[in-house]
Amino acid sequence: MARGFRLSSELIAGVVVGAVIGWGFDRLLSTSPWGLIVFFLLGFVAGVVNVIRSAGVSPERTGR
Amino acid sequence: MIDPIHQFNIDKIFTIGHIGNQEIAFTNSSAYMFVSVALISLLMIGGVAGRQLVPGRFQSMAELSYEFVANTIRSSAGSEGMKFFPLVFSLFMFVMVSNMIGIIPYTFTVSSHIIVTVSLALLVFFTVLVYGFYKNGLKFFKLFVPSGVPIYILPLVVLIEIISFLSRPVSHSVRLFANMLAGHITLKVFASFVTMLGAFGFVGWVGAILPLGLTVALTALELLVAFLQAYVFTILTCIYINDAIHPGH
Repeated sequence: MARGFRLSSELIAGVVVGAVIGWGFDRLLSTSPWGLIVFFLLGFVAGVVNVIRSAGVSPERTGR
Repeated sequence: MIDPIHQFNIDKIFTIGHIGNQEIAFTNSSAYMFVSVALISLLMIGGVAGRQLVPGRFQSMAELSYEFVANTIRSSAGSEGMKFFPLVFSLFMFVMVSNMIGIIPYTFTVSSHIIVTVSLALLVFFTVLVYGFYKNGLKFFKLFVPSGVPIYILPLVVLIEIISFLSRPVSHSVRLFANMLAGHITLKVFASFVTMLGAFGFVGWVGAILPLGLTVALTALELLVAFLQAYVFTILTCIYINDAIHPGH
């Protein structure tokens, strides 16, 4: 359960941070909805990268 | 009667003062923070006061916790990371002791409020940022530029790395908070099944054995989770500090 929580929180954190950045980007530059769309997807990618790293599949970041 | 959220209520004990219109109050949360700090001080100061060559109970507890955190830092951030030992040790002891206190019935769990875990995670985040720039200068930005990436996808990778870096305090804090919150709600729900079934007379009493047993088992699990989450919080702190010390990859 602890491991599941760890990995899911990594994924959710990435998506949430991406969405928040996109939303702020749209608000500042009034490019709605493109900033949200682009940064949401980038956040999803970052979340997956986080999950892979914290699961220890790619050793170069978390191995040390 | 049965309200699993009630245990997370913040109650005002007394008011300290006002900043603007905002009341600054001493709450039950602050009281439990003080209790955990007092317990840690008692353990550490009382433990090393004797300075026996052959440690007694308290001294070996203090020595064990020191060794444990020191080994964690050395293995994940190298011996250079020992500069941050006071910070990491305080974080580990605070999170662990306040989690452990929270398991005792009728107490309040400090880390079940996201504001507490977010402040701890942001403390680590800004420590990494400030120390990273202080030690490495602009080379700290290498953290966002992995080596060996073709130039035409580099902007995309850098953007993803930056989002991944910014999402660290979020996942760092949500993990501890969600674990403590979910665990305590589960415990409370199963415990309330016992009283609900107990209202049905003899058959209910027999049926209540199952949730009672589960509550006991869940308490043991919560004890494990309380320690494990403190450990996970610490080891992630060490990994982030390691990035501040050696940013290049």
